[in-house]
Amino acid sequence: MLDAVLLILREVLEAALILSLLLALSQKLHLQFRWSLIAVTIGTIGSWLLAHYAYEIADAMDGTGQELLNAALYSVVILSVIALGLFICPLAFKSHLENNLTQKKIFASPSGKKLIYRLCIVIVSFSLAREASEIWIYLSAFTHDTEMLSSALIGSAIGAGIGMSLGASTYYAFTFMQKSYFIPVFLAIITLLAGGLSMQIAKQLMQIGWLDSATPLWDSTFLVDEHSWVGELLYALIGYDSRPAPIQGIFYLLTITPVVSACAWHAWQLRVKTHE
Amino acid sequence: MNNSIKYTLFASLLLGATTKAEVPTFTLEIRDHLFYPAQLVVPANTKVKLIIINRDATPEEFESYELNREKIIMGGAKAIIFIGPLLPGDYPFFGEFNPKTAQGLIRVEN
Repeated sequence: MLDAVLLILREVLEAALILSLLLALSQKLHLQFRWSLIAVTIGTIGSWLLAHYAYEIADAMDGTGQELLNAALYSVVILSVIALGLFICPLAFKSHLENNLTQKKIFASPSGKKLIYRLCIVIVSFSLAREASEIWIYLSAFTHDTEMLSSALIGSAIGAGIGMSLGASTYYAFTFMQKSYFIPVFLAIITLLAGGLSMQIAKQLMQIGWLDSATPLWDSTFLVDEHSWVGELLYALIGYDSRPAPIQGIFYLLTITPVVSACAWHAWQLRVKTHE
Repeated sequence: MNNSIKYTLFASLLLGATTKAEVPTFTLEIRDHLFYPAQLVVPANTKVKLIIINRDATPEEFESYELNREKIIMGGAKAIIFIGPLLPGDYPFFGEFNPKTAQGLIRVEN
């Protein structure tokens, strides 16, 4: 049962943290929460489909289907996170009054709101589908053994419960934060999160031999072990890897570049304006 | 247009070169939630192809933090995972769905 708790927690944690971050953003920007229901529904159905067709997916493209599909799912989430980051970015570099005006300009328009809702739905549903498909596959092993199935299901419920409460705590921690702090912190976290996901793409491509792995850039296992709780949490939040390959580092840097450059540009603009 | 053809050719050559080059291949089997052999010796500083055959009816996930690899292998299915080039040392792996029993080690030697 403990195995099930840990496995499900690992799978649920990332999606729960992403969901709570985006819900906190919605709360700060006075947006509706209805998108989250749509996202969780699509994500759950998607995860079931991925699990149901797992054989076919794994066999496709000369046995590289699983990795290529994962890489594609990661890419969609990363592009949506970057788009959201670029959209939110101006809010982090304005004075309070200006900020309200910018926010009104961006979010009063239905198209601006719609864009945010759509991005949030894609980010959460794609992340959830990928993560949760593994849960269905795991549980499918126990369908012929009712005793083991019930134990695995109880374990899963506990794991999912812990994951969701961690997500809820994250949500409340962020909603108590002042908006002027929240936006920069939010931007930093989602940028690092996208970087972490891009390392997973590199990993998928190394696994099928399309990219060559080399000696890891560093080994920080002595500092934070990926097996440990802190390691798992950091992995879910910013894609922590204790032994990243050099190519993973390149993917990370390329992914964080757009939002980091946009922030730098806005910061520079703000400086120019305040000096005028 | 011409350029794009050139790039495509170049890319396919590169991909062909990496997949077609002689890559040492090793086979692992999963039976009753155990890995056979539980220890595998592979050459250092070489890209290696692992073929993992799941003889069980239930799915398993090959996972290794040390090798930085994870892959689900459905019941009765076969999976291919490339690892390395690796430095000499021991690289443990396990089956995430049966972590207590399914454990193994890849020993990398010069």
